[in-house]
Amino acid sequence: MKNKNVPGYLLTIFLFIAALIFLYPLFLVLINSMKTFQEVVTDVVALPKTITFENYVKAFELMKYPNLFYNTLVVTVIGVSGIILVSSLAGYKLSRTRTKLSWLLFILCIAPMMIPFHSFMISLVKVAKMLHLINSTYGLGVIYWGLGAPLAIFMYHGFVKTVPKEMDECALIDGCPPFKAYFRIIFPLLKPVTVSVIVLNMMWIWNDFLLPLLMLSGNQKSKTLQIAAYGFFGQYKIEWHYAMAGVLMTIIPPIIVFLLLQKHIIKGMVAGAVKS
Amino acid sequence: MKKVLSILICLVMLSGFLAGCGTVKEETPAVAGTASTVAQEPASEATTAEPAPQEEPKKEPVTLTLFFYSPELTEQYNDMSKAYNEETGNTLDITVLQNDYATVLNAKLNSGDIPDVFMSSAYADNTTYKDYIYDLTNEDFIQQIEPTALTGVTVDGKITGYPFLVQSHSFIYNKKMFADAGITTLPKTLKEYEAVCEQLQAKGIQPFATGFKEWWVLPQTAWQLLAPIKDSYSGDYAKFVEALNTGALKFKDIKEMNNVFDMLDLVKKYGGKKPMESDFNDQTSSLAAGKVAMIHQGNWAEDSIVKANPDIQLGYLVAPVGDNGEKAGIMYDSNQTLRVAKDGKNLQSSLDWLRWLTTSDYGKNWIPGKIKQMSPIKGAPAAAAQLAAETSSMLSAGTPSYSWYYQRFPSGAEQGLGTILQGYCAGGKTRDQILDELDAYYQNLLKGAQ
Amino acid sequence: MLRSKKARLMRGLEFAGFTLPAIALIVLFVELPFIMSIVYSFTKWNGLDKVPKFIGLGNYIDILSDKSMHQALIFTLLFTVVMVTVTNILAIILAVMLDSNIKGRNFLRAAFYIPNIVSLIVIGYIWRFVFSEGFESLYNLTNAGIFEISWLGDAKYGFISIVLVSVWQAIGFYLVIYIAGLQTVPRDVIEASYIDGAGGLRRFFGVTLPLIMPSITICVFYSLSNALKTFDVILSLTYGGPGTSTTSIALDIYKTAFSENRFGYGTAKSVVLFLLILVITVLQVTVFKKREVEA
Repeated sequence: MKNKNVPGYLLTIFLFIAALIFLYPLFLVLINSMKTFQEVVTDVVALPKTITFENYVKAFELMKYPNLFYNTLVVTVIGVSGIILVSSLAGYKLSRTRTKLSWLLFILCIAPMMIPFHSFMISLVKVAKMLHLINSTYGLGVIYWGLGAPLAIFMYHGFVKTVPKEMDECALIDGCPPFKAYFRIIFPLLKPVTVSVIVLNMMWIWNDFLLPLLMLSGNQKSKTLQIAAYGFFGQYKIEWHYAMAGVLMTIIPPIIVFLLLQKHIIKGMVAGAVKS
Repeated sequence: MKKVLSILICLVMLSGFLAGCGTVKEETPAVAGTASTVAQEPASEATTAEPAPQEEPKKEPVTLTLFFYSPELTEQYNDMSKAYNEETGNTLDITVLQNDYATVLNAKLNSGDIPDVFMSSAYADNTTYKDYIYDLTNEDFIQQIEPTALTGVTVDGKITGYPFLVQSHSFIYNKKMFADAGITTLPKTLKEYEAVCEQLQAKGIQPFATGFKEWWVLPQTAWQLLAPIKDSYSGDYAKFVEALNTGALKFKDIKEMNNVFDMLDLVKKYGGKKPMESDFNDQTSSLAAGKVAMIHQGNWAEDSIVKANPDIQLGYLVAPVGDNGEKAGIMYDSNQTLRVAKDGKNLQSSLDWLRWLTTSDYGKNWIPGKIKQMSPIKGAPAAAAQLAAETSSMLSAGTPSYSWYYQRFPSGAEQGLGTILQGYCAGGKTRDQILDELDAYYQNLLKGAQ
Repeated sequence: MLRSKKARLMRGLEFAGFTLPAIALIVLFVELPFIMSIVYSFTKWNGLDKVPKFIGLGNYIDILSDKSMHQALIFTLLFTVVMVTVTNILAIILAVMLDSNIKGRNFLRAAFYIPNIVSLIVIGYIWRFVFSEGFESLYNLTNAGIFEISWLGDAKYGFISIVLVSVWQAIGFYLVIYIAGLQTVPRDVIEASYIDGAGGLRRFFGVTLPLIMPSITICVFYSLSNALKTFDVILSLTYGGPGTSTTSIALDIYKTAFSENRFGYGTAKSVVLFLLILVITVLQVTVFKKREVEA
């Protein structure tokens, strides 16, 4: 939409100012992470006198960052790939099959979107313990399959409607067995929605706190970044300079991923959320 | 046909779940069974080992899972764990949580993933965790604990937990600021406190950082102001709480509650522009930076304060209880408690660890030397800390000390009643309304506790 | 006949093969635990005792006279109305602005999205730092009254602070959906409205808005169900205080279950919350879908 009424540059300036105010809290985190303790205490909004990365080095060591990063990555990768696999299959089939049963199963699949997490988390720990999924990053990843599937199925279900049915028949005529046909022909067509499912779930799992806390219970070896950050805030209560460095180190990875994938995200949203 | 088939599939699926649950159900008792046999075996081993405790390191190294709060002590926990590992070869796997501690602990206990040793409060928590606690009454190392520290964990003559620390709380003040403001006699009554506040304010110093945003600071402040209530119950808090529990006594009938409200009003009035926003961090950093002269906190706050200002000189003030300066005192008790899980996989090793903590040289010195708080162990060295020293000297000078009686309220009361008092401090409600709310909430809790 | 039976069987198996894994996982990790919790809602249980005591509908009857629950309900509904309206209106306005060909469009989109990728635990920490330390320094710098207000210590301002931080955190997500929605609006429709000579506002309400109705439905749905479940931001900013003035239902449930140790009662409350969310969102989707069709 071209704006002919408002001069473009005024709008641009306005938006940039808005964005700067919007990001100001994060900017405060950035500048304070480079200050000494004394500087933080005397004036929070002042710029650091000299830029040092000492706080980062300290936080990096104290948090045992590489280990945390690896654990969080394992959980996220297992979680997201499982969600994509099971949800795309189910979303596709449930969308294509027009029977009452299929509709009922679809409702069964998406109803959990309304259930508040706190209402079933204790029982979930029980179930996870029975299945030996507790205290392990792999197990945690698997639990996310069930928790992430409802929204993902919802998105796939909607998107599949926009894929012409002829494609299914094409696949069948080829004589492929159904799964093979699905992965060769249908799944690639779902790519736009897959991207947005990946992004949404990646951000969610990477940032999730309470479930990892319950399942891994802050155990040293299997800690995730968020749990470590939380412990870090507790341990260095008023040493804001370390905590701020810790904050930035936990949020930088998802920000980088986001900036890399930004274009795909909007495309994926067009496909995934809007059309469903 | 299709429908029938689908239904069949559903049934298969469901039976799959049921089967899954079935096998699991069989499994849980099996696990419990092994746990108890494990527990019994080393028990006999230990009795044989006891006559010659020197020559024990034949056992396989054990890993104990410990579940703690107080994350500010993380370094000290790790230091102890390292020392224990060096001396015995056993490993301590310590998890340290904060606000979500109770939630995660409940989930773990519930699911059967039970830590070997966990922390809780004393008093009301004795019953909260009753199904999981190992009875320590007959353990030799319990004899080494000061009897006063054991009152909070004793139920019907049984010792339900191991007192971890002895702590005190009251108003903490910056000695130098008081001296600079020309305050020579320390305040003991409400009026004297008010005078001191005026004097400080005249010098441009904010008297208090309130801590009112923190759910635990406000009740600690408030209940200390009511502490002498025990004198109406022949010195026995158990009887006072009993009266509340049976409904014979209501908060609205306690006329001393007015002392509480008066002092809270005073702290708020002299607590700066944003008294409701002050939390633990604000209290400790403001006191350390010389922005305020007094905070209501316990000796655990000293570490944070001194870290931020190593030269600061701290002291305790007695908390006012109306006009009677004689009864003003400090709160002194052991509340933070270590609980040994009776179903833990390494019961005997857990007990060995507690014995080590009580009797070894490192263990005895750990709390006073490293954590810098008061130890409940008989004959332990004095804590290397100002507030601990202040506590001892006040106690020996005959300053009244009160136990943390509010921990006897039903579980959840500390936070729930604290929230209501916070509502009072935020303003907009009369004292009568607040008293009614306190009573109503207390009744609710009893309903849950029965 | 036999062949067609076999074909049906194959089709059934195929259907099961595609859908069963997901259904099994959802049932196992969400629905089964939820049903287990519903069972607890009929008991008096502290979450720890090994034997819960069955009390039938007792907990549900208690809810009817539970003042803290009612207060939390009012807070949550008020919060939801404000939050859903503010987030969606702001997101639409920003989306329309960012959909035009202005310079730095990509930077701006990223800027508004970034808070959405920061975890809630960190957001709570950052904002507490901003409200306490940041505002103090800003007040010393500018002397502006706005920084002198007790944003977290007063019931009225506490509500505003929570809305502010929640909108700050959430808006990027809705913004992206609306931008995506605007991109599906055919260019020629817009062009046509130029030729018709429709003014900016009329064009927006008459042409654009009806066309992005699907995005609105989905955004309102997400924001509704998230606002009704709101928890983390409040937990870390005010912990429901001062007093209970900013306690949401989800936080009330959490406190009931884990700090008062009334787990059975807490789950009964959460069943009520589930039903509330269900009714409200189903109503919303039905009403909005109707609109979409009409449009």
